[in-house]
Amino acid sequence: MAVLSPELRGEAERIKARYPAGRERSAMLPLLYLVQSVEGRVTRDGLREVADVLGLKTAEVEAVASFYSMLRLRPTGAHVVSVCTNLACALRGAKEVYAAAHDAIGSHAEEMTEDGLLTLHEEECLGACDAAPVVQVDFANHDRVTPERMRELIEALRRGEVSEPSAGRAPRDFKEASWILAGLGDGA
Amino acid sequence: MTQEAVTLTIDGKEVTVPKGTLIIRAAEQLGIEIPRFCDHPLLEPAGACRQCYVEVEGQAKLFTSCTATVAPGMAVRTQNSSEVVHEAQVANLEFLLLNHPLDCPICDRGGECPLQDQALAFGPGESRYVEAKRTFEKPIPLSPLVGLDRERCVLCARCTRFCDQISGDRFIELFARGAGERVSIAAGEDFLSPFSGNTIQICPVGALTATPYRFVARPFDLSSVDTVCPHCSAGCNVKLDVRRGKVVRHLARDNLDVNDAWLCDKGRFAFRFPDDERRVTIPLLRDRGLEPTSFGEVMDAIGDWSRGKRVAFLTGGRLADEDAYALSKVARTAFVTNDLDHRREFAGGEAERLAAVAVTDRALSVTYRDVERAKAIVVAGLDAEQEVPILHLRLRKAARRGARIFVLNPRRTRLWDVAEHVLCRPGQEAHVLEQIVDGEGGDSGVGRAADALREAGEAGVVLAGMRLAEHPLAADVALRAARRTGARFSLVPRRAGDKGALAAGVHPRLLPGGRRVDDPGERAEVEAVWGELKNVVPGRNAKQILEAAANREIDVLFLVGVDPLRDFPDARLARHALENVPYKVVQSLELGSLEPFADAFLPAAAFPERDAHFTTWEGRAQRIRPVRGPAGLSRPDWEIFAGLARAMGGSLGFESLEDLQEESVGLLSPRAFSGGASAWVGAGAPQWIDELTLFTYPLLVDEGRLSEGASELKAALEEKPFLEIHPVDADKRSIADGGEVRVRTQAGQAVVPVRVTPDIAEGSVFVPFNQPGLAANTLLSGRFTAGATVEAVAAAEAAADPERLTVGGGP
Amino acid sequence: MDPRRAGGRGVTTDRIITRNWGNPDVFHVDGYVANGGYAGLKKALAMAPEDVIELVKGSGLRGRGGAGFPTGVKWSFVPQDTGKPTYVVCNFDESEPGTFNNRELVDREPHQLLEGLAIAAYAVRCHNAYIYVRGEFLHQGTIVRRAVEEAYDRGFLGKGICGSDFDLDVVPHRGAGAYICGEETGLLNSLEGFRGQPRQRPPFPAVEGLYASPTVINNVETLCNVPHILENGADWFRGFGTAKSPGTKVFSVSGKVERPGNYEVPMGTPFRVLLEEHAGGVLGGKALKAWTPGGSSTPMLTAEHLDVGLDFESLQAAGSLLGTGAAIVLDETDCVVEAARRLLAFYAHESCGKCTPCREGTWWAVRVLSRIEEGLGRPEDLPIMNDLGRNILFRAFCPLADGAVSPITSTLTYFREEYEAHVREGRCPFTGSGPGRRIEEVAS
Repeated sequence: MAVLSPELRGEAERIKARYPAGRERSAMLPLLYLVQSVEGRVTRDGLREVADVLGLKTAEVEAVASFYSMLRLRPTGAHVVSVCTNLACALRGAKEVYAAAHDAIGSHAEEMTEDGLLTLHEEECLGACDAAPVVQVDFANHDRVTPERMRELIEALRRGEVSEPSAGRAPRDFKEASWILAGLGDGA
Repeated sequence: MTQEAVTLTIDGKEVTVPKGTLIIRAAEQLGIEIPRFCDHPLLEPAGACRQCYVEVEGQAKLFTSCTATVAPGMAVRTQNSSEVVHEAQVANLEFLLLNHPLDCPICDRGGECPLQDQALAFGPGESRYVEAKRTFEKPIPLSPLVGLDRERCVLCARCTRFCDQISGDRFIELFARGAGERVSIAAGEDFLSPFSGNTIQICPVGALTATPYRFVARPFDLSSVDTVCPHCSAGCNVKLDVRRGKVVRHLARDNLDVNDAWLCDKGRFAFRFPDDERRVTIPLLRDRGLEPTSFGEVMDAIGDWSRGKRVAFLTGGRLADEDAYALSKVARTAFVTNDLDHRREFAGGEAERLAAVAVTDRALSVTYRDVERAKAIVVAGLDAEQEVPILHLRLRKAARRGARIFVLNPRRTRLWDVAEHVLCRPGQEAHVLEQIVDGEGGDSGVGRAADALREAGEAGVVLAGMRLAEHPLAADVALRAARRTGARFSLVPRRAGDKGALAAGVHPRLLPGGRRVDDPGERAEVEAVWGELKNVVPGRNAKQILEAAANREIDVLFLVGVDPLRDFPDARLARHALENVPYKVVQSLELGSLEPFADAFLPAAAFPERDAHFTTWEGRAQRIRPVRGPAGLSRPDWEIFAGLARAMGGSLGFESLEDLQEESVGLLSPRAFSGGASAWVGAGAPQWIDELTLFTYPLLVDEGRLSEGASELKAALEEKPFLEIHPVDADKRSIADGGEVRVRTQAGQAVVPVRVTPDIAEGSVFVPFNQPGLAANTLLSGRFTAGATVEAVAAAEAAADPERLTVGGGP
Repeated sequence: MDPRRAGGRGVTTDRIITRNWGNPDVFHVDGYVANGGYAGLKKALAMAPEDVIELVKGSGLRGRGGAGFPTGVKWSFVPQDTGKPTYVVCNFDESEPGTFNNRELVDREPHQLLEGLAIAAYAVRCHNAYIYVRGEFLHQGTIVRRAVEEAYDRGFLGKGICGSDFDLDVVPHRGAGAYICGEETGLLNSLEGFRGQPRQRPPFPAVEGLYASPTVINNVETLCNVPHILENGADWFRGFGTAKSPGTKVFSVSGKVERPGNYEVPMGTPFRVLLEEHAGGVLGGKALKAWTPGGSSTPMLTAEHLDVGLDFESLQAAGSLLGTGAAIVLDETDCVVEAARRLLAFYAHESCGKCTPCREGTWWAVRVLSRIEEGLGRPEDLPIMNDLGRNILFRAFCPLADGAVSPITSTLTYFREEYEAHVREGRCPFTGSGPGRRIEEVAS
């Protein structure tokens, strides 16, 4: 079952062409983001397809995909909510923000809510410590988040709304974030 | 080759080594063993385990001796003379044992485990770790042969590095990171590499275990012997382990001149055949059925049948060198016949004679080291991975060192990622090789091969497989290609006994040492040892023997370690032969499909019961040693031949193995090869037939008798039958990949699953020789057969077809 | 707005690379150029590449990503006769906890980075450069991509830059969430499509880096300094900072301070100045307890060290390191055991797993620290923590492990009595959580 349509296969070839001849393996991460953008996570079929595009064994691709935390191999919600709890954010109340998210979402970190909407992820330092505590929704930053604000963000997602991030544009969802991460554009 | 030398001291002792030597290697030369897990002399350094620390004077930090190279005047201190190093090693072992499960009582590695050994020698006595250990689901089958226990794994990555650097079969990799890092396969894609077993042997803990050895034995249970693998002509050095009389394991022994430290999975796991329940260890003579009898009786009977009659010998290339010599002598001196042949392919040519002469002659032969160091290599008519696997690994090693490799074969081999393949149709090889000889080919694979050989000169190697020898001129052209460029040439036979048999003269036209039967001068050298030979007319080759037998021109046919119905590439001819020869003597480990035909059975001793030699494809004779005596009443083949000589009223002249060896050594010592392509005639361009040429060869893991009982090996690596066809030919016939086809030749027909692939030469189709359910020799009249037709078969029709996947041969 | 953030290019302040942060026009290429941007590049293109290297060498600029290796010297290590292409890779994988200066440099003035990158490429005769952007920087990756497009559009990248005959292509490449990919050779492996595990050195990237070819890897902040050095000269640059640490440093200050943020100060500025004058002092006027000079991987210092100069040599003398220049500030109400625990959890999570001491040592450390923090610590645990520090430091394949040791050894050095109180009282004295009595047996 092909993950990439013929059109997306064309994109895959263009991604490979960013890198020198004979070095197309460098396209590994963007290609994994590409299949993630289609299926909402990197599935077994996605791994095989990337392997096929790069002329590698599936194990070689899965070895790479499983190394990185932004490539998700397990079932993932439409939105990924990442709460940094590293030291600088923890000093400014991140633990309470995470607890609030945990309560509001009602499932363990790294899993997916039953309705397939949300996944909560405890993050490491996001390089935005001046705005601690920092939360990302589909990798778009939200600054100085309080437990109250955390609950608001989650409620909004439940209503189908994506809240305005502190900078840039919010991706529609995790899939679109992956599309952007594949270098295929800045989103609609 | 001179190399800069470096002198340094380790623990106060001076040692001089080539520049670029790793400290850990230099220490070994002084007999100093630095503890290690991830280091392996044949793998690139990893520096992962951190166990091999040493102190270097003048340096603040400790060095890992497996990654650091020596420097002039360096003063190194190991754990033997440095407290800091000793403490660091203890600490590192403490880390390694943190999450390591206390599995020793149930772990197959126990008793031969580098972690156990090093923990006892260098490690902390008790654990300070009171937390929960990280756990994994275990054991996990990576394949039917290899089991993985992730909790025991120390993440040395020897296994994944072997697959990446040596075999190129990247089925296993490290997944995830941190303490969750683990060896894994992609789900549904088992570790199906014919070299997978090596990862088990180099794993320094019990993380990778062999399923056939799971819970089978402890090292102190085992009797062991250093021997050589009996399967193919690679000659891998093996340690054979026996428990209570039964062979339970083969391990690789290190030999950097032969197999490095590797075995293929067949050599490693197909060890059960000597103990197979179908083995017969008593002589049998046919009355109404086959009745047990004594050697005396059966020899008398054979003598009666054979005196003054027309006798022929077929062997399959499974005889040890001494046995082959004895057979060569007994056939000529006692049975006065030159109708003997060890080959299963129907072959010939000057190249073969060179191969016979070249045994032990360095100047005329190619060694593994030559392959390793070559700058250009042409491999023709040989699928090394399937036929001589350890040679395949050596070719990959050569490629890693920068050699340019070209493969001429009708189908792509698994050297495809390191070698340029020229897919040529069977029978076309001679023509392609001619182009290389003449330096033609321009900007093509052939042209590049020609250039590469020319540039490499004496650093070039040409290897010709026995499928090349099937075309009478192809091997000669390969020899000529080598000669023209200064490259070294070798014919690479497949089986362990092939080279020795060729050298010993188990051959219709060649006496020992490649001396021609019909050349008085060369013959005289043999007669000086054997006495006058009464029959000086070159005999029949294997095919001709079978044809003669079918025509009732043979009275007694000896089948020594071969079953023509299964082993020869023409099952129909084999059957006619057996049906029309009055007397058939089978000398082997078992009867198999010859049971209805055998008139006498002579039980041969099996390879773990033998003291003898096998000669590798290079021409290197290596000793095999017995770990037990011959089973039952079985005897070494050479002793049986001596008995046959006596039954014929003569004598082979040697009472012991030593006598035989002493006699043969003179005839098999290096001599000059006179000749070359003097009788060579241009092979000419092939005629293009608009039909398909069907060709075959045995894959590595198949229904061959030496793989009997190797159930795990077969579960992992034995493929079902298939037919490979090129897309152009498939399209013409409306054949789709994944369906089934009916293949028809003059000899027979079969319905087979089809694979449409560009990895085969246009105009040719391939079926493997001997997979379960399809004996390809029922379709063939030779190693390849022109004029095959292939047509698509609808699924329902295929299911109902009685010809579908029929087993060939048999009553 | 902070008055020190005023001014455009050419105005004399004690800031070099953040001087335009008050001017939103410099974000786009036209505003950047109008403000004097790309003048350094033009100057470089008029020089011989070797002379550009000499100039940067002479400035004494040292890498700002943590290692502090002299930048010009690094460029001079690149051999020009290998027959292989040379690559320059910009390390924008900023992931060191507490560090966010790279991010804001790109947020506000991305072309400053591109200009520095182009000059670096020219100096080492590189025609293909990559910008490795941390995966989580979704927005910054977009900024980089657009800035690169703008630069191509205006002829500052691509064929014949600024009318010269120097061609340069820049390809942004995004990471996927792994701190170890901020380590040079881990980054190279990641960029080549492999797991981001570090490589054996030698060979060094300058000789065999990306695609086994000569490669220079530079941090964002390092590259941002380069155009100014070209424009104003080596001596000018040496006029900032100290003799051994010339120039300025953008410090990220976070944690318990009134004004978390990025502040560019001359190297050698005492920490007190950064903390009190720039970041507004400890939040709520509390007492300073501990601070990291250069992110979590540098040993923590205390209030005793308020007057230590923020430069490579002074911090080293004080028993720590400059690192990435990122001060996470803890006050008297913060538990250092919990801080150490959380940081070790970070290192354990980010450990690539390749080598024993890091993989197993961080795993062990997290577990012991967790028990201590939960009030389940035993007296034996303190020698174990000591040993962990000793047995991990300088024993691993790469410096990530050394970073993991910093929180352990520094908190044990300066706050041993806090650890002892946890063990003695059977609970965390700051949060109160824990059974509240000494536990003799600990369930495995």
